[in-house]
Amino acid sequence: MGPLVTDHWYDLRDLSNISREILEGIDKVAPSEVAYIVAPVLGFVAFFLIFVLPSQLIVGVYGERRIIGRMQARRGPNRVGPFGLLQPIADAIKLLQKEALTPKTADRAIMWAAPIFFVAPAVLLFATIPFGPRMIFADIPVALIYFIAISALPVLAAFMAGWGSNNKYSLYGAMRVVAMSVSYEVPLVLSLLAVVVFSSTMSLQGIVLFQADVNLWLVFMMPLAFLIYFISVSAELNRTPTDIAEAESEIVAGYLTEYSGMKWGLFYGMDIGYALAASAFAATVFLGGWSMWGLEEWVPPWMIFIAKTHLFYFVFIWTRGTLPRLRIDQLMAFAWKFLLPLAVFNLFLVSLERLLWVENDIGDGIVFAFAAGNLVASAAAAYLWARLLGYRPERIPTKPRLVREAGGYVPVEGQTGGGE
Amino acid sequence: MSEIVQSEPFVMNIGPQHPSTHGVFRVKATVDGERIIDAEMVIGYLHRSMEKLAEERTYTQNIPFTDRTDYLSSMSNNLGYCLAVEKLADIEVPERGQAIRVIMAELQRVASHCMGAGAFANDTGAWQTPIMWFMREREKILDIFEMTSGARLTCNYMRIGGVAFDLPESFEEEVRAFIPAMRQTIDDGEGLLSGNEIFIARARNVAVVPHEMAINASLSGPMLRGSGVAWDIRKADPYCGYEQYDFEIPIGYQGDAYDRFIIRIEEMRQSLKIVEQALDGLPGGPHSTEVPLALRPPAGEAYARIESPRGELGYYLVSDEGPSPYRFHIRPPSLINLTVLREMTVGGSIADAIVALGSIDIVVGEIDR
Amino acid sequence: MATKWWSGAELAAAAERLVPGSVARTSETACALKPESALQTFRALRDDPETDFVHLTNLCAADYWDHFEVVYHLQSLERNQIACAKVEAWEREEPVVPSVVDIWQGAWIQESEAYDLFGIGFEGHPNLTRILLWEGYPGHPLRKDFLAMPGGLQPGLNEFAGTSAKPEPPVHPVQ
Repeated sequence: MGPLVTDHWYDLRDLSNISREILEGIDKVAPSEVAYIVAPVLGFVAFFLIFVLPSQLIVGVYGERRIIGRMQARRGPNRVGPFGLLQPIADAIKLLQKEALTPKTADRAIMWAAPIFFVAPAVLLFATIPFGPRMIFADIPVALIYFIAISALPVLAAFMAGWGSNNKYSLYGAMRVVAMSVSYEVPLVLSLLAVVVFSSTMSLQGIVLFQADVNLWLVFMMPLAFLIYFISVSAELNRTPTDIAEAESEIVAGYLTEYSGMKWGLFYGMDIGYALAASAFAATVFLGGWSMWGLEEWVPPWMIFIAKTHLFYFVFIWTRGTLPRLRIDQLMAFAWKFLLPLAVFNLFLVSLERLLWVENDIGDGIVFAFAAGNLVASAAAAYLWARLLGYRPERIPTKPRLVREAGGYVPVEGQTGGGE
Repeated sequence: MSEIVQSEPFVMNIGPQHPSTHGVFRVKATVDGERIIDAEMVIGYLHRSMEKLAEERTYTQNIPFTDRTDYLSSMSNNLGYCLAVEKLADIEVPERGQAIRVIMAELQRVASHCMGAGAFANDTGAWQTPIMWFMREREKILDIFEMTSGARLTCNYMRIGGVAFDLPESFEEEVRAFIPAMRQTIDDGEGLLSGNEIFIARARNVAVVPHEMAINASLSGPMLRGSGVAWDIRKADPYCGYEQYDFEIPIGYQGDAYDRFIIRIEEMRQSLKIVEQALDGLPGGPHSTEVPLALRPPAGEAYARIESPRGELGYYLVSDEGPSPYRFHIRPPSLINLTVLREMTVGGSIADAIVALGSIDIVVGEIDR
Repeated sequence: MATKWWSGAELAAAAERLVPGSVARTSETACALKPESALQTFRALRDDPETDFVHLTNLCAADYWDHFEVVYHLQSLERNQIACAKVEAWEREEPVVPSVVDIWQGAWIQESEAYDLFGIGFEGHPNLTRILLWEGYPGHPLRKDFLAMPGGLQPGLNEFAGTSAKPEPPVHPVQ
């Protein structure tokens, strides 16, 4: 909060001015219970309906399809509205008027409850994320643990959806979701634990203030934690390359096979919503949140924050358009054998540095040295650990052998082959 | 452990309505968890009794039938059938006709492998990006086919004794404009997939067919070549003048799905090389010999085969001096390549079974006829 | 470097050399083997280094009114040669032919197809099912008397459509 951001209600750089004016206005004319009730509604309207839902629709539905379209040498949706911008509205209307079939042998109660359990976490997660210095709905001191706890709910919802559908493919999807989410929770928590150790606070606003204080984003400080977070959270979100729970080419649609109509729309929309929540969380914890080395006094901090969220989400879209999908046993082996030791190593390194910093009372400039050292150490650790686990890129020939005459079997001579 | 946790295998259907079975094809897989214990294929959803219908139509009227067996490589099917009839009736094809046939067959091979390699990448989960790139180029080939023969997919272009029509004027410049763009796309697709760690992890050592089993199971095409057997009918038993073109055949290392994929990519490159050579040396002259309308080949039998994109496509014809064949049999490469489906999938997981099926590159129209 | 297409006489000579007395009939393009010694002959043809027919390229059947023929196209990849062998079955109702699945694994789908469409039983086949049509389908479609039409007409284009059809079966195509 610099000298430029004022307390006037029309200063849009700090939107909490408006809500404070409204609540104080209500306080003057009505008993205090009304303000108590209006506050969460206002928070929901402000945070979810004004920020999250449009960005979810524009970026998640429209933006993702257009960007993936460009990656695939085709245009995305561009018919509905100018440049296709009304495509999400058209999708929503289409889904609303569809018949939401429920198979006769399926468990109706569980099938109906699963989308509700899926929507709730995405909405709840945005409550603790700071959009600006005073624009946070619930600044609870254990926001990080709150995030990890809430992110277990969609797993339950996916399992309910798969079980309740009474369909072998759905059951496959449900089992895979549970196995994968359980495997990837551990590296996720460990990488976030490194963040907590370094910034010595679990409140998200505290972590952003810490990053603004030392003028260094935590992504540079612990790049390994960022990478592990990215992979683990994309596994939690069932996004390619780890989307085996919903692998379209293998088990049709996984746990979503029997869903249609708006129930499916809720799953699909909240998939994006939850991805945006995870992106927002990453933007807060690793990319510096609403702080931008002093720029947040000129540009509204919530704009900076939303830009960072969308940047992170773009990387999700990018990997989705590019990479194939891994098999379930390969995924779990990756989580347990590769990511977990690296997360532990990262935690050890960061704790050591924090200890050195605090015990010896060194100035804040040491973090840049720590960052440089961490970058090198992380790259070396990842590479060496991969080599130890048997990763040999040069052994695999990527081109076939070429022969000119037809005959019988031509045995492979030597280790490396390779055509032209 | 198995006394504490009791599990029993159950039968799961993969197909016939499935995004990844390349048509109406069903595999009844007995699975235990994610491990497949037994796989049995069920076909016949697309059986149209072509072999019986062909006995009631003249030899020329059967050519559109052959289009619709392997609908992704119709020019090759036509070519095989016309070769069989020409062998039976001892008809010579002029040189220009042969060169045009070679150009069409190789362009068709590129188009079919675009679809085959792209669909295989789709099966491994590369969310339609490589298949979209290949499809864009395949569209250009289909436009060329439409310009020449009138149809995109079921071309009905080859005739007994040559081809139906001569090449249009803008054919050569369209093909020459297409070849560098296709080479660029092949490089793009290969760069995206062949070195990709995830793709290699999905396709390497999956669905391995050792070379003795490959030969014993009558495999052909990229499946046989993937196992290291250097067998390509264009080299071994050249037809239509293939011996005058300079090209190489790719063979694999250990017969897994990854080998077949890189073989298909390389075959596309070699096909483009052949098309260039054929266009450079395109002779003049008639494009087909005159064949009587009611062709009655002398009594006898003939078996002719070509290297279609899927393998050895053979036609066995028996003639009884009538206007229609006495027996018309298609040797479908996709069906015979499925002989090893059980050996490839048992012991792997369902994801591997889908990858294995994608690497065989089946077309159900050919399986069921 | 073309494939050597063996004539019927050459295959008959090779078969006689390997298993004497195994040839039933010889024609210009193919050689028919006796069903009793067919399995032994096929095995010898596959294992003998001179013939080396390791690849069963095609297995199909044909109906010649008085007998069925199962046609085998055998191919050698090393020596680049192909030959056509046949086994005849003279039973009309339920013909039986020995199955070559133990010799060439690639035969099992094609033999199932021949059983499905012609009704030829292959003894020794591990799992003979009707793969293209379903169990319980009435008849075997590719037989020449399937869909016997009224008026004594036969399926098959003996003349152009519209003219009178010959009542007797056509000439034997392969002598």
